[in-house]
Amino acid sequence: MNLDDALQTFIVESRELLEDMETALLSLGRDADDCGERVNAIFRAAHTVKGSAGLFGLDHLVSFTHVVESVLDDVRAGTLVIDDSLVSLLLACGDHIGAMVALIAAGRTDPDPALTAQGEPLLARLQTYLAAETAPDAPATAVGTDDRAGTEAARDGTWHISLRFGTEVLRNGMDPLSFIRYLGTLGTITAIVPLADALPEAEQMDPEQCYLGFEIVFRTDADRASIESVFEFVQDDCLLHLLPPQRGIDDYVELVGRLSEPPARLVEVLSLCGAVDGDALAAALQGGPVVSAPLAVPVAGAADAACAEPQADAAPVARDSARDNTGREALARETKSRESPSIRIDADKLDHLIDLVGELIIMASGAQLAAKRVNDPELQETHSALAGLVEAVRDSTLQLRMVKIGATFSRFQRVVHDVARELGKDIELKVSGEDAELDKTVVERIADPLTHLVRNAMDHGIESAELRAERGKPARGTVRLNAYHDSGAIVIEVGDDGGGLQRDRILAKAIERGLVEPGRNLSDGEIYAMIFEPGFSTAAAVTNLSGRGVGMDVVKRNIAELRGSVSVASEAGQGTTVTVRLPLTLAIINGFQVTVGKSVFVVPLDMIDECVEFSSEPGHDYTNLRGEVLPFMRVRELFALGGAPEGRENIVVVRHAGRKVGLVVDSLLGEFQTVIKPLGRLFSQIRGISGSSISGNGEVVLILDVPVLMERAAAQATADRARHSIAA
Amino acid sequence: MNTNASRQLAPVAVAAEPAQFLTFLLGDEVFAIDILSIKEIIEFRNLTTVPLMPECVRGVLNLRGAVVPVLDLQARFSRPVSQVGKRTCIVIVELTNAHGRQVVGVLVDAVNEVLEIAHDAIAAAPAFGSRIRSDFIRGIGKVDERFVILLDVDQVFSVDELAALVDASADATV
Repeated sequence: MNLDDALQTFIVESRELLEDMETALLSLGRDADDCGERVNAIFRAAHTVKGSAGLFGLDHLVSFTHVVESVLDDVRAGTLVIDDSLVSLLLACGDHIGAMVALIAAGRTDPDPALTAQGEPLLARLQTYLAAETAPDAPATAVGTDDRAGTEAARDGTWHISLRFGTEVLRNGMDPLSFIRYLGTLGTITAIVPLADALPEAEQMDPEQCYLGFEIVFRTDADRASIESVFEFVQDDCLLHLLPPQRGIDDYVELVGRLSEPPARLVEVLSLCGAVDGDALAAALQGGPVVSAPLAVPVAGAADAACAEPQADAAPVARDSARDNTGREALARETKSRESPSIRIDADKLDHLIDLVGELIIMASGAQLAAKRVNDPELQETHSALAGLVEAVRDSTLQLRMVKIGATFSRFQRVVHDVARELGKDIELKVSGEDAELDKTVVERIADPLTHLVRNAMDHGIESAELRAERGKPARGTVRLNAYHDSGAIVIEVGDDGGGLQRDRILAKAIERGLVEPGRNLSDGEIYAMIFEPGFSTAAAVTNLSGRGVGMDVVKRNIAELRGSVSVASEAGQGTTVTVRLPLTLAIINGFQVTVGKSVFVVPLDMIDECVEFSSEPGHDYTNLRGEVLPFMRVRELFALGGAPEGRENIVVVRHAGRKVGLVVDSLLGEFQTVIKPLGRLFSQIRGISGSSISGNGEVVLILDVPVLMERAAAQATADRARHSIAA
Repeated sequence: MNTNASRQLAPVAVAAEPAQFLTFLLGDEVFAIDILSIKEIIEFRNLTTVPLMPECVRGVLNLRGAVVPVLDLQARFSRPVSQVGKRTCIVIVELTNAHGRQVVGVLVDAVNEVLEIAHDAIAAAPAFGSRIRSDFIRGIGKVDERFVILLDVDQVFSVDELAALVDASADATV
């Protein structure tokens, strides 16, 4: 039986369940109402993980989750009150289970000693909660349980299980061995004897039918219901007889009577598994009254055992309505009860689809060009329509990769929860704009930088409770996460209502590190931007969260790799907001082709405001754009292309992060959409080119990196100013 | 450091079969590259020049949807840039190194035949005397009384070195 696919499903679904568990636990801390339903949800999550793990024989996972489940059961029953420390403990247990699942995902299905050792203290703490509960249960030690007709609370008794699997068990997808394994997690199998007596001759044997039976001697402290629940999935399909710990020889006699194998054979088997002394049983079979009726008349023996017998018949009792036999289906039912109809797709398949759509776009562009050359109106019209359809397909496909940022934002609830406790501050996370969507790969890669920004806000931004009281602020600090779309980009803001950035300290530190010459006049924005320099930190003390100064520059670099940008705004005493801008897609670009000399470049369309004819104020590098001063850069000079422009030049007005700049180019070729192809490691350091693309005629065109060019121009201007001010 | 080790290893190679090399012309000199590194040979076509590149990087081209950089070997050997002639071709070479697989194109003046050169016919590169860098030379093969310089592909097209060159020239112009 190929378990690999099922195991993958198990891993994915366990992760989802653990996430649900975490969310529910965190929300318990906040709102006291509707507790009951949330606790149920948490319990169900743990229970499902345990059950599924059992099907795969992942015993270490089962045993750990079992203890967690027990504690949750007590909470659910109301015998245990859930408080803050229990929530933290359960969160930690959730993490531990997650770590075990991660190991399994990596291929290790056996327990890892290091990880198990980590789980020990958690188990110990869980046990303290359980011990408090089990103390009143003491008098359960076995003898005389006839008042509890329904349950056997035998502590550490030895049961005898007689099991005959039905013929359809294999066809229904059940593996008898997995049940035995699972049984093993509830206790110790001291003896087991398989019976293949039902196996017919080779010609009559059907390989898809199950002919197996087992006689098992089982030591456990579980109760009857638990043992029977092990065989839940095959209860309709097999014969199960359970003999409780307090049993006498007569119970065996009865069992022999019930089973279909010849008595002699059964005596042999039962003595083989050490359940009973063979001779004694044989003698009893000869002598004593053999009861063949299904409902046992109490024979001389422990009264409780007799009470228990009818229960053995109750084993095949249909539990809550027809449950399917396949474990996977049961799992699927759990998950189906969650919301929206969605479908799980391999990320690889999606990437492949997007590659194909990219190639389609390039070909469609080429076809359109060719159609233009042929100059046949019908052909051109058809191609126009084709291009429209291709664009629609492109947009749809890109949408497939878009995920809401809300999922990432909600992960931060946990981060804020834990860090707030670490810092001893009372901090709340307010989230807005969860519906803003962005590309899947961007979401994955933005999580780390955002985490760092949030931690920074909590550690450095929000002041201690006393300081906040002094300043007349509410004791609970707030960290804000907000997301929205803005002209082809997605903007994510991380804000706090803390003390704000300390302008003077940053300036002092920058001067100290030689980044700025003393006496320079910098704007607030420029000073705040210093915090992104490597090794920069004005924190007086280094905590394990931050202060080492390795954070913000890594954040900036990560964001730059995503072709995004980051900026900071702050007000002393009020708070700080860090704004991250990211492009909406990484793969396909709407561009505008321009020529400069013999080269063709592409400018990202979403950054273009307009195109105007070239004109400039005499002697300066800026032009008059309807009364506005527009500085420009000559692309020819920027890239040292040489040569002189022939004919009229044009200015492409681009806008980025609120600033407008003009790019002087030769001619404008028009709109153009295509797939971005990275240039490769060789060109990774080129500044000003963000990638390449294949134009309709098959040639490679380079894409201008507008933000970088603007930065270069600004840096150049600052350098010029510095030179002039020194010379002056 | 690596080059010394690999040069010492070359003569000791125990492969039974003789290796095959593609010979090509640069100017009037004959060079050769092990065909195991060669993916394909294509006709010269227009390249897109990338600004601010050192001379040895002629540009990039579109190889069935992938953007491949094309190098000028003459410039790599610190000689004047090659002129495009009638027989100019681009040899597409695939390298595997620490960073994974890299595909690079090489501009050559003309492509000759594939020769089989036995291992004992390959002598180690001379310590000095050759006009190109000695770590570019894997060995000197002897074919019919002529000498053919066998190039060490990993060194000549070392992406790290080229990237450093690119950085240097990019910085220089800022």
